[in-house]
Amino acid sequence: MSALEFRGVSKCFGSFFANRDLSFSVEPGTIHGLIGENGAGKSTAMKALFGIYPIDGGTILIQGKPVRNKSPVQAMRLGIGMVHQHFMLAGPETVLDNIILGHEPGFLRLDRERALEELKKISETYGLHFQKWHARVDELSVGEQQRVEILKLLYQRSAILILDEPTAVLTPQEVTELFENLKRLKAEGKTIILISHKLKEVLTHTDSVTVLRRGECVGTRVTAETNEDELAQMMVGRPVSFTYEGERKVFAKADESRAVLRVERLTIEGVSEPLRKVGFDLRPAEILGVAGVQGNGQTTLLRFLSNPSRYRSADGEYRFAGANRMGSNPLALRRAGMALVPEDRLSEGLLLEQDLVENYLLGQHEDPRFVRNGMIDRSKLRPRVEAAIRDFDIRPPYTNIWASRLSGGNQQKLVIARALDSNPNTLLIAHPTRGVDVGAIERIHEAIMKERNAGKSILLFSSELDELMDLSDRILVFYNGAVAAEFSRREFDPWAIGRVMGGGAK
Amino acid sequence: MKSTWYASFRSFLRAVAGAALGLSLGLLICKLVGESPLKVLHVLYQSSFGSGYDFGMTLFYTAPLILTGLAVAIPLKGGLFNIGAEGQLTVGALAAAWAGVIGASIQSPVIAVVFATSSAFLAGGLWGLLPGFLKARQGSHEVITTIMLNFIAAGVTAYFTLYSIKDPVSAQAETIPLPEAFHLKPFAAFNGAPMGGLIFFLILLAVGIHYALWKSSWGYSLKALGENETAAETYGISRGRSWMSSMFLAGGVAGLVGLVEVLGNSHRFKIGFSADYGFVGIAVALVARGNILGVLPSAFLFGILQKGSASLDLETDKITRDLSYLIQGLIILGVSAEDLWGWIWQLVRRKK
Ligand SMILES: Nc1ncnc2c1ncn2[C@@H]1O[C@H](COP(=O)(O)OP(=O)(O)OP(=O)(O)O)[C@@H](O)[C@H]1O
Ligand SMILES: [Mg+2]
Repeated sequence: MSALEFRGVSKCFGSFFANRDLSFSVEPGTIHGLIGENGAGKSTAMKALFGIYPIDGGTILIQGKPVRNKSPVQAMRLGIGMVHQHFMLAGPETVLDNIILGHEPGFLRLDRERALEELKKISETYGLHFQKWHARVDELSVGEQQRVEILKLLYQRSAILILDEPTAVLTPQEVTELFENLKRLKAEGKTIILISHKLKEVLTHTDSVTVLRRGECVGTRVTAETNEDELAQMMVGRPVSFTYEGERKVFAKADESRAVLRVERLTIEGVSEPLRKVGFDLRPAEILGVAGVQGNGQTTLLRFLSNPSRYRSADGEYRFAGANRMGSNPLALRRAGMALVPEDRLSEGLLLEQDLVENYLLGQHEDPRFVRNGMIDRSKLRPRVEAAIRDFDIRPPYTNIWASRLSGGNQQKLVIARALDSNPNTLLIAHPTRGVDVGAIERIHEAIMKERNAGKSILLFSSELDELMDLSDRILVFYNGAVAAEFSRREFDPWAIGRVMGGGAK
Repeated sequence: MKSTWYASFRSFLRAVAGAALGLSLGLLICKLVGESPLKVLHVLYQSSFGSGYDFGMTLFYTAPLILTGLAVAIPLKGGLFNIGAEGQLTVGALAAAWAGVIGASIQSPVIAVVFATSSAFLAGGLWGLLPGFLKARQGSHEVITTIMLNFIAAGVTAYFTLYSIKDPVSAQAETIPLPEAFHLKPFAAFNGAPMGGLIFFLILLAVGIHYALWKSSWGYSLKALGENETAAETYGISRGRSWMSSMFLAGGVAGLVGLVEVLGNSHRFKIGFSADYGFVGIAVALVARGNILGVLPSAFLFGILQKGSASLDLETDKITRDLSYLIQGLIILGVSAEDLWGWIWQLVRRKK
């Protein structure tokens, strides 16, 4: 008997079918992949299973029994647990409280001690190393928050685990660990549904795969009997290339003194990811990659570079576009030609309950192209948003919907389009293709390379080593708050870079 | 696809439906205590629209609530909860009265009114700016500081009223009366109710603020900040500037209650003149769901209820003032229970 079966399930938003007549089943004790382009309806289908959305047609069966989950609480009682694409932890509370929220041991009384004991045991059994039980959740890195989410499911003893793009935010090491853990969970008879845009991952770690396209089920394959090309073709409806193969213009050797952005002896203490004597140059017409295991200072560096005014205690030098930028604010940097794609699109990049035009305005709200005498002319803005929707194939293609209505990958496309809109000469880009489907990755990589070939400077932060090696001219590897090594394009080698990321020598 | 205006329109319809639901519940209670609901409705209608005078009085109750409703709704856009409209309006009203004392020799009504208006605005504005500044600078919670400033305002204005510009002739705790040039003329059609062209000015003010918030880059920054503080900061929106400016504007607007009361009605500052306008303003803004233009109908609704509660007390046997407050409360509840509507809607859908 299947652990889970979708029988003709549909879910609409208004007149729009996010899921149409989905049918597939998942065998118990397997890992089942769920893939599809951005906006294909993966998250929606899983949210319906998890009781967040009521379904508008069809039946969901668990252990062969039809169920109607009216709420996540009910779903959890049926042994279904979900880690959302965008985490749903309660900000200022501690990790411990977040995990035991709603599942407190003891009657009417929080027995934190007991819960902690149990959690430590769980984290050991599954090899999910974690120590900061008493830290506030909003002080954790994205990767750590992810681990907390998974621990929470384990603590709830879910039998069916839904993971919505769990690896999008993890480091390669963490990804390996995660899959080891999933294998262990699988051996214990748990059923796992894995949503991912990384086909390699899906091919290595799942037992079967279901592909969605535009809300419909294209088919289900046994993983061992399919391959990357077939899956991509099913997802997109056309063949896709997986590495950037476009033109990389060769420029005369960049003059080192012509750096547009220069950091020297940058030291920031007293933050969760300190920086120690960081120095580098960013030159015209280059993509400078920043690699490193999450938590080694990259986050602080990006936040500092885009908003130095936030770090009063920073020490060292930061020059950009010919001026000292210590203590500058983002608007000043922007006027000097800088644009930003922040690490976390939801918390740092979007106004979820505003429409796309308002979101497009963020950061451009004093741009003279749209603003005269302090007054915004939205009629000039709207065509830009429409162009962005066309260029990046943002779906659904409407300017007047809330940003929260876009699927994760489409939100990311919007944030990138916005950064490119002002024709900046320098771009700080973090995780540009996080949660983006294979077709769109191509498009985004092309867009970044086009900027470089036009002579722009790009500082690229990514946890995907492949992406960094495909695009970068040079790569800086961060370890323990400092630049541990620099690799030029000739020297790129995943093993060598990985070694330095882990603290080894070049 | 749902557009923004459609969403606001739906939200407005929901508010109206909510008011109707609350009113029906209230009428049901009237029925239970033995009063005819029809009579109650009739009294409410008569007391607010029955004559020129009644309508004028309704507007007179509405006017300060427009101002205090705005004073709460404006900072709310940026995520601040201004509980201090009461203090801001007190300080503003005193400043208006004081302007009359200082400018006693001003002959031109235009200059006099402009002078008093700017004094009231400035005084209220500074009183609002202070918690905005403390929030931006020290992170002091605005709810606490504005509440404290309400008490301080009451004390300070009482002091000045009694010791600096007290009317030597009067036995009451009130300031020297304003010279003629400072008086705002009421409409003759209102038969003595103290309300005139000022009401149009207030409507224009609300429309202007709405427009500024929507069109200006200042308003955008404030909205972005209220929506997502981290994102706003990441993209260079200064918390301090937005918070301080919005609180200054809010305080200034609250201070204009001085125009309604001091210039328009009693022509002097009286200690304790405010019928808790500042606090009712919170309810006005919440019923309007923080929407600037929504403050206008919302304040009018409260004006009607406030005017009506006195009449209900007098003209019916069973309905006391307290009971009419209860009805008021039910209406507010009906309007603000947004979740309730979502819930009812879901039930209906499930049934289908
Ligand atoms: N609450 C909502 N209201 C209206 N439309 C929605 C809502 N949530 C999602 N949608 C739409 O439904 C479609 C499917 O969205 P969903 O989030 O399931 O995509 P996804 O497959 O998870 O994509 P991604 O890989 O980008 O996360 C999208 O077109 C999206 O815009
Ligand atoms: Mg999704």
